Amino acid sequence: MSFRLGIDVGGTFTDFHLQRVGRPPLLHKILTTPSDPSEGVIAGLAEIAARLEPACSLSELLASVELIVHGTTVTTNAVLTGQGARTALLTTHGFRDALEMRRGLREERYNNRSTNAPPVIPRCLRLPIDERVDAQGQVVRSLREEQVSRAVAFCRDQGVEALAICFLNAFANPQHERAAGEVVRREFPEAYLTVSTELLPSIRFFNRVSTTALNAFVGPKLKGYLDGLSRRLYEAGFEGLLLIMQSNGGVVSPRVAREKGALTLLSGPAAGPIAGLQYARSVGRSSCTVVDMGGTSFDASLVLDSPMLINEGDINRLRIALPMLGIHTIGAGGGSIAHVDAGGLLRVGPQSAGAEPGPACYGRGGRLPTSTDANLILGYLDPDFFAGGRLRLDVAAARQALEENLTRQLGLDVEQAAAGVYRVIGTEMAQGVREVTLERGFDPREFPMVVAGGAGPLHACLIASELEIPWFLVPRSSSVLCAAGMLMSDLKHDHVKSLVMPWDEERIDWQRLEELLGEMLAEGEALLEQERVPADRRSHVLTLDCRYVRQYHEVSFEVPIETLGQRDARSVARAFHREHNRLYGYSNEEQATGIELINLRLTSIGRAERAGLPCEKSPPGGVDAALKGRRRVYLPDGQAGCFSEIAVYDGHRLGAGHRISGPALVERVDTTLFLTTPFDALCDRHGTLVIHLKGRDDLLRDVSLQELAGQAGGLA
Amino acid sequence: MSAIDPILLSVYARCFKAITDEMSLSVAKTTRSPILCEAKDFVTGLYDAQGNMLEQTEHLPILAFSLAPVCRHIVDYFGEEIYPGDVIFHNDVFSFGNQNNDVAVYTPVFFGDDLVAWTAVKGHQADIGGAVAGGYNPNAVEVWQEALRIPPVKVYERGKLRKDVWDLIFSNIRFDIVEHDMRAQMGAGRVGERRMLALLEKYGRASFEAHKEALFQATCRAMEAEIAAIPPGVYRGEGSVYYDGRTPGSKFTIRVTVEVRDRRIRFDYSGTDPQTEGFVNGTYASSASATLLTFLQMVNPKIPHNEGMLRPIEIVIPEGTILNAAYPRATTFGNHLCPPNADAIMKALAPVLPDRVTAGWNHLLCSLTTGIDPRTRDRYVDIGFMGLKGGSGAMQGIDGYDHIGMIDASGGVLDQDYEMFEQQTPHRLIQHEYLCDSAGAGQWRGGLGVETVMEIGSDDTQVVVFGDGDFEPPFGLEGGHPGVLNLISLDYPDGTTVVPRNKSLTTGVPRGTLYKQVAGGGGGYGDPLQRDRARVREDLRNGVISLEAARGVYGLEDPGSIPVPPGTEC
Repeated sequence: MSFRLGIDVGGTFTDFHLQRVGRPPLLHKILTTPSDPSEGVIAGLAEIAARLEPACSLSELLASVELIVHGTTVTTNAVLTGQGARTALLTTHGFRDALEMRRGLREERYNNRSTNAPPVIPRCLRLPIDERVDAQGQVVRSLREEQVSRAVAFCRDQGVEALAICFLNAFANPQHERAAGEVVRREFPEAYLTVSTELLPSIRFFNRVSTTALNAFVGPKLKGYLDGLSRRLYEAGFEGLLLIMQSNGGVVSPRVAREKGALTLLSGPAAGPIAGLQYARSVGRSSCTVVDMGGTSFDASLVLDSPMLINEGDINRLRIALPMLGIHTIGAGGGSIAHVDAGGLLRVGPQSAGAEPGPACYGRGGRLPTSTDANLILGYLDPDFFAGGRLRLDVAAARQALEENLTRQLGLDVEQAAAGVYRVIGTEMAQGVREVTLERGFDPREFPMVVAGGAGPLHACLIASELEIPWFLVPRSSSVLCAAGMLMSDLKHDHVKSLVMPWDEERIDWQRLEELLGEMLAEGEALLEQERVPADRRSHVLTLDCRYVRQYHEVSFEVPIETLGQRDARSVARAFHREHNRLYGYSNEEQATGIELINLRLTSIGRAERAGLPCEKSPPGGVDAALKGRRRVYLPDGQAGCFSEIAVYDGHRLGAGHRISGPALVERVDTTLFLTTPFDALCDRHGTLVIHLKGRDDLLRDVSLQELAGQAGGLA
Repeated sequence: MSAIDPILLSVYARCFKAITDEMSLSVAKTTRSPILCEAKDFVTGLYDAQGNMLEQTEHLPILAFSLAPVCRHIVDYFGEEIYPGDVIFHNDVFSFGNQNNDVAVYTPVFFGDDLVAWTAVKGHQADIGGAVAGGYNPNAVEVWQEALRIPPVKVYERGKLRKDVWDLIFSNIRFDIVEHDMRAQMGAGRVGERRMLALLEKYGRASFEAHKEALFQATCRAMEAEIAAIPPGVYRGEGSVYYDGRTPGSKFTIRVTVEVRDRRIRFDYSGTDPQTEGFVNGTYASSASATLLTFLQMVNPKIPHNEGMLRPIEIVIPEGTILNAAYPRATTFGNHLCPPNADAIMKALAPVLPDRVTAGWNHLLCSLTTGIDPRTRDRYVDIGFMGLKGGSGAMQGIDGYDHIGMIDASGGVLDQDYEMFEQQTPHRLIQHEYLCDSAGAGQWRGGLGVETVMEIGSDDTQVVVFGDGDFEPPFGLEGGHPGVLNLISLDYPDGTTVVPRNKSLTTGVPRGTLYKQVAGGGGGYGDPLQRDRARVREDLRNGVISLEAARGVYGLEDPGSIPVPPGTEC
């Protein structure tokens, strides 16, 4: 028997998704162990071994696992808490403050008490090196190795653990960075080293120095963690392949992750969109929005045939310029705190009560009203069946928290205030979905929404109503969607090289272009080779970053590699105009405005072997057998809303073809779905609940209800 | 009157914000001039049928607060003749515009047959006609030498382009890019209109009107509560402007009287010096924006920006003063009177709001270089955002913000990236770093200033300088020391050094000249001897204060051994 395992370590919970041939997946959740997350991983695995039928030992379980894909927030937490390695920067003389200056940005214009984001490397460890390369890559002032040696000796004296090297214009000529890197490797081999052009050889100094510094800052932490985890796993009997989730939605070997820890900085939610896509496909669609509501945050993303990528983003106000999924995160989760602001308006979030002290109803010392407290008062949560009854919720504490902080200020009763919290957080989340759809020129009504996270299904109907989205999916594994998605992710390596050059036929340096492309292809092939990806599963995708001369922002667009081979400048230009037009509503094709090339990007992919979605065996009995009882809940329909008794179903007793008509609640151990009056739900053969507006059965034409003979859980 | 639902009120507030944000995103993505898409020198807003502000998004606050008065002017001007499908342009500084180059697009929103709202998008255009490309003409004495005046004018009526009007405008503007960017602004206005209509369809007109007024009242109450926390009284402060671009040694004083009583605040500039002969004059809108953005930094930053916020605030700026020039004086420099205006307000309120005011901020001193790039033979233009950013003033409990730049942007305008800068201009950067001892010392020190050095890479280069802050340093408060002065100097290859005046145009600057700029640090707050010793040591260790200053100014008796990184020895 061979298992595949997705393990997603989050801030509060560690999620497991165990994939088994011929059987439904096993989902498991335990509390994360923050001091060393690998302890929780091993503990969770032991619990899973005990849950199997027949139960087995940890080493028996691990011996049967052929693949573990692991998502970790070790690097994310290192940045958020400022607890990375003691890091130094060697940089071109005259520019040692670029990292801290952040181009002079203050995010809050009117708040004179807001301070700059603390740099990951203090000024006293940012060391100038007297060297200079010009914008075209010509050496203006040669590097003197003895100066690098002196800087390295200083770092050693100062107890530095990691070093970042980033020189001005190194994208055009990395010779000085390489030479300085050699000195460090020779004279301070125990230091963790990141050389900017080895990580991100592209133009824009601030992006590069910031990304390089972050990589050096988090690298030693991730390296230590991965070394420890692999040792524990292999000692416990694991013989399979371990892969690590990256922010770009792909996976990578631990060997690469150790060198390029920054690749994992925003990897937390990165597997969600991939999983979402597979569920969208199971109902006949190739695009979807994915929303994931956890304890502290709400992540929204858009998938159009493949998850949407961006080339730079920020973590804790620090720039990271590596390709990552375009996931929009807002502070709206189950733990988000509701308050009345200075103008008397009700607000929810972004502050969160987190897991500690948690919502007031957890009874762990939380006194402030949260979204979860409101949901309990509104009847959406059963105080005796939260997390399958593992945590008893305290309704009185929830009511008290609202009374003390909201009702008096708003002049409402507790139920009305709770309903307000529910509606306001719904508006916030709908805005999050808008950010990734309408604000990028896409209409959210055109795609099904895939709903994930423990708290997501409680709010999804309201989000859908707000945006007029006619249908959405709550997959069987929605509460551990990222762990499930990790097993569907391809190996992925992104390369970038800058080549600033006017794109007109007379002035294109084809030879240089082909050289750079060749180097990137060779690098990609070598990495996939090391990761034992067979040749027929490898592929490479080329994108170019171009812009109209004098524009500031580039447009990335895909170009078939053959087009460069054929030196077809016009097709490239046409593709650029087209993409510019799609993004911004106009192009200057007719005006023949000059175009310039800025970067070449190559993504090397090792296609994962994806298992198809398993089919679930239908439980005996009709939908009535799943009816648990009735509960009085708040219905947010219409402008006022009202309380009403509605049906409560046991989600574990629903099977293919079962239909439920809203309003209703569907409870599972790990999540609760609140179906409002305008919606109905249909359970498909994978155990996915397909929620749709009443009367919109036309959306369901590709939903499969029949278990296919002999194909239960088979490989697709 | 529709009943007020306190929850729906939050939903409206959130939606208004979302609409103006979405309009901003549209502008940032679709405009081409770097001052719009990169420096984000634009604002978007949403107004009710009468022109009252529902919400606005202020990338550059100095532009923002003239949108509502202009909207009201448009409503008066066209009266009954406002139709669905109209698009109206405006820039005129003598009908509430703030600066000639800042051109606004107003789009009426009709729900059925009724005018219910307006969207507005205003951005700084790369050119607006007048005698000098780009608009900064230190020699101008009248508005016509500065710009094409656009009083409210319909470029679309009932959805139909008025081609003759359009052509009249754009045949008086140098660059095609302006036409593109104005189209982009119109697109953003449409985005806002669509979203606003969707909101009205969902909740209905009556609900919108009732909740809008409730929102104004709630915001007004919040602002009144903030003002009520200020001790009632009359407070006075001054700020100085040096050199009008025509008479060397000239100096002008801005005088503000702030009166706080009955939960209202009044800023009265009677007694401010008369207008100048040159282009160093404010408009009512730019000066009132400066007043508001400074005051807003002293109250809870979370108060929504709508009409209600403005109700308890009164601003009086007599016409004919340097802050409110009379028709037809030149005014292009007006936005840059914000720093001395802010100084006057901070100084006035410092005695009663010691924990809300800041010490003096670094004033803007900026350069604009143009020439022919020898690598491409193309003309380049560079506004030196990178060099101009000094530090903010410290406040009680908080050091100033390093390298933030002028208070009118408050960190909203960004440096060029060094490598992109060297691609787009022929200059070579030599240094861009915090300047040691540039911040005013104090228990909380000012924000650090920055030193920029670059080698000019084109022959016959033209350097336009505009700004201030090279005569009087940012002030300290409560025993805090002043920051350092701004300075721009040119070291010619022949060994001579030239310091251009702070409003001037220098031509024929040769290749190889070293351009040097200091953007000074902000003023300090409180006695430097009271500064936390650990912070003094940290600043010393980081090389942002010298050992001399640590001992002499901060009185650090035992600096201990401070490791000096190789290559940073002074």
